[in-house]
Amino acid sequence: MHRYKSLASISLAMLFSALVPGAAVAQQVDANMLLHPPADSWPIYHGDYSGRRNTALVEINQRNVSGMTLAWTFQAQSSQTIKSSPILVDGILYFTLPDNIYAIDARSGHQLWHYTAPPNHAFHIGQRGVSILKDKIYYMSTDAHALCLDAKTGKVLWDVVVGDSNAGNWSTMPPLIVNNHVVVGISGDFDNLQGFIRSLDPETGATQWTWYATLPVGTPKMTTGGNVWMMGTYDPEQNLMFWGTGNPTPVLNGKPRPGDNLYTCSIVALNPETGKLAWAFQPSPHDTHDWDAVETPVLADVDFKGVKHKVLMQASRNGYFFVVDRTTGKALITEPFGPVNWTLGVDKDGRPIPNPAKEPAPDGRLIAPDEGGMTNYRAPSFDPKTGLFIVSASPSYSVYFAKPADGTYGWAGADYGVWNKGVLEAIDYRTGKIRWEHDLGRRAGSGVLTTASGLTFSGDGEGNFLGLETATGRTLWHAGTGANIASSPISYQLDGHQVILMSSGSVLYAFRLPEQIGVATKKPRGMK
Amino acid sequence: MKILLKSAIVVTSMAVLVVPPIREAAAQSGNNRPASPASRPSFSVGKQASLPEHAKFAPEQIKDGSALFTQNCAFCHGKDAGGGESGPDLTRSKLVSADKNGEGIGQVIRHGRMEKGMPSFGSLSDNDVVALVAFVHAQQDAAMSQTGTRKGVEESDLQTGNAQAGKQYFQGTGGCASCHSPTGDLAGVATRYTGLKLLEQMLYPKEVKAKVKVTTRSGQTFNGVLEYRDEFTIGLRDSSGLYRSWPTAAIKFDIDDPVEKHVDIMSRYTDDDMHNVLAYLQTMK
Repeated sequence: MHRYKSLASISLAMLFSALVPGAAVAQQVDANMLLHPPADSWPIYHGDYSGRRNTALVEINQRNVSGMTLAWTFQAQSSQTIKSSPILVDGILYFTLPDNIYAIDARSGHQLWHYTAPPNHAFHIGQRGVSILKDKIYYMSTDAHALCLDAKTGKVLWDVVVGDSNAGNWSTMPPLIVNNHVVVGISGDFDNLQGFIRSLDPETGATQWTWYATLPVGTPKMTTGGNVWMMGTYDPEQNLMFWGTGNPTPVLNGKPRPGDNLYTCSIVALNPETGKLAWAFQPSPHDTHDWDAVETPVLADVDFKGVKHKVLMQASRNGYFFVVDRTTGKALITEPFGPVNWTLGVDKDGRPIPNPAKEPAPDGRLIAPDEGGMTNYRAPSFDPKTGLFIVSASPSYSVYFAKPADGTYGWAGADYGVWNKGVLEAIDYRTGKIRWEHDLGRRAGSGVLTTASGLTFSGDGEGNFLGLETATGRTLWHAGTGANIASSPISYQLDGHQVILMSSGSVLYAFRLPEQIGVATKKPRGMK
Repeated sequence: MKILLKSAIVVTSMAVLVVPPIREAAAQSGNNRPASPASRPSFSVGKQASLPEHAKFAPEQIKDGSALFTQNCAFCHGKDAGGGESGPDLTRSKLVSADKNGEGIGQVIRHGRMEKGMPSFGSLSDNDVVALVAFVHAQQDAAMSQTGTRKGVEESDLQTGNAQAGKQYFQGTGGCASCHSPTGDLAGVATRYTGLKLLEQMLYPKEVKAKVKVTTRSGQTFNGVLEYRDEFTIGLRDSSGLYRSWPTAAIKFDIDDPVEKHVDIMSRYTDDDMHNVLAYLQTMK
């Protein structure tokens, strides 16, 4: 494969690769490419840095989507469920299952290489994918190591320990790559551990900086936790990254950690060069319900009450939808997007005020939403055309318990979900009000993709892929898969045609429009 | 027991445990019987019931099971099997108490309980399943042998309500009496369910299925229990046990799901209401 060096020739090469199907020109994944991903790529977990998951591709539209058909599947043949968003570079898809990375041909689903991690005993709850810079893949292992692999072969180039899996850390997220920084976080709320965000050198894995969400373990009356386990977003104009942090520990017992418990359940703005905090907004002060605020901090520059605003939007696990001015960190909108019963209202800064009477208790407290939350890791999408923020929501109730015998370490209580359902909600970012709802049956695990052609792709709780009209939520296409959908759809253009890529169980599905009859009847060369 | 045949573990009583080293004896699958309750410590602490009859496993199996449990199960059930995110406390599970040698737990691990959110772990080897069974048994034994107050939800924790106030709510504000009767469907409910289980049943009885009436375009009607429903398909089972399904677009259907009223009431319950109604239900032995 020929690799062009200069930027100008790269743009030329991209132009050629878009015009000439299968042109053998490599995409140079550098800082500039990640800022402006070409249509035939999906080089970042969310497709780009904004977290909007709104593709500019329009070939598949409201008129033809009902004819969308299967191009290929990839069968990982695993009992684990794909929770990964694949990335696409140079016509190759890279995606993961816990302990497994796959590189497959995006034209056929043909496997190029498969990396299997050494056996380890960390939590294997999920793996959300890998990241790419230049010709290297970056991966967080289940046992909280960061690995760098050769994108061509899957060979491990370096492996550094980020967290101690024996102490209770594990990892699920792809790193966020900004300039020369591979930025990672890890999980671990079954133990009282200090949450952090760390930047690694892409060439060596050496630590560049670490930002700690909480104080060192053992600091009196101070919380631990605030683990970061979902992909952040980035605004190059502000040169700030935006991350959500996880819940405090002990999880359900708030007594040993009085106060707001900063910076747990928070959205934080960090400088990628230094790790310095610019501002923080806390969706769940003093959380006692495991409501991580790690859901995608979606970035958009929008009109708000007649004024152009740089905003950050989050549909948070605690049941509230937030619109925050991302230059100041001040909330513009705080609105519930389903039943919530744990607050005394909203404070002057737009933060929900937790009701102390709704903290877990020995005889149980009925709480909405439940611990899985009104939403969770499944990615939402923002469609700038309609101003709709579309999220797979789950109205729900559970009973939370905590008593002295449950202690002050790790979980420190118990909670039991009593009821939940799934509903796709379109929230108007200007008001925080729900414009339409689309019933999904049981709680669904699929994220959301919107297209500039007015389509919304997601999945329901029974394993159906759904293609809806973004403006109304009306179903235009569906396909039953027979397994749990737990990833977020992506889209890209290959050989001039748009692909919608989704997963269910351990299978990837690539959908596209039917091939043109003229093309389909053309005889391959050499055949009579 | 079928699922464990390949690697049947030898079950011995504690008294003879020292005699056959477990690994060597593992081939003697004929000796596969539960421990005798008489030969095990039969003490119980506080309100805890007598210890369950569990097979005896080798320490290595329990250790392997602990590692496998962390990897596959701990996220939902907690590292100590005492409950975590969304998964129940297995040390209080009746299925675990009744499980002698993996026959119950193994089934659940292998096949899952999709309706309750438990995935299947069909790819685990028989040895892995045995190790998990060993670990869960050990954790339950340890929890039940514990002295003093146990962590987790005890029946005694759920006695804060006022039965009289609960009765008033049941008959008045709550509207419970419009569907339920303490001498009818709820007679003996506090015997059938106790503690946390009773509370969960009271809030939302998950097992109750809705009824559905389907009217086809030709005007034919079909009645039955709602077996399946998504946006595109409705499936029912009629009184003869026959399953039928239709595309939702081709029919009219009317679902009668009285349990939905339990969801409505959740938005109105105060925690006191909830505990009071539970106290009232607890009188229905």
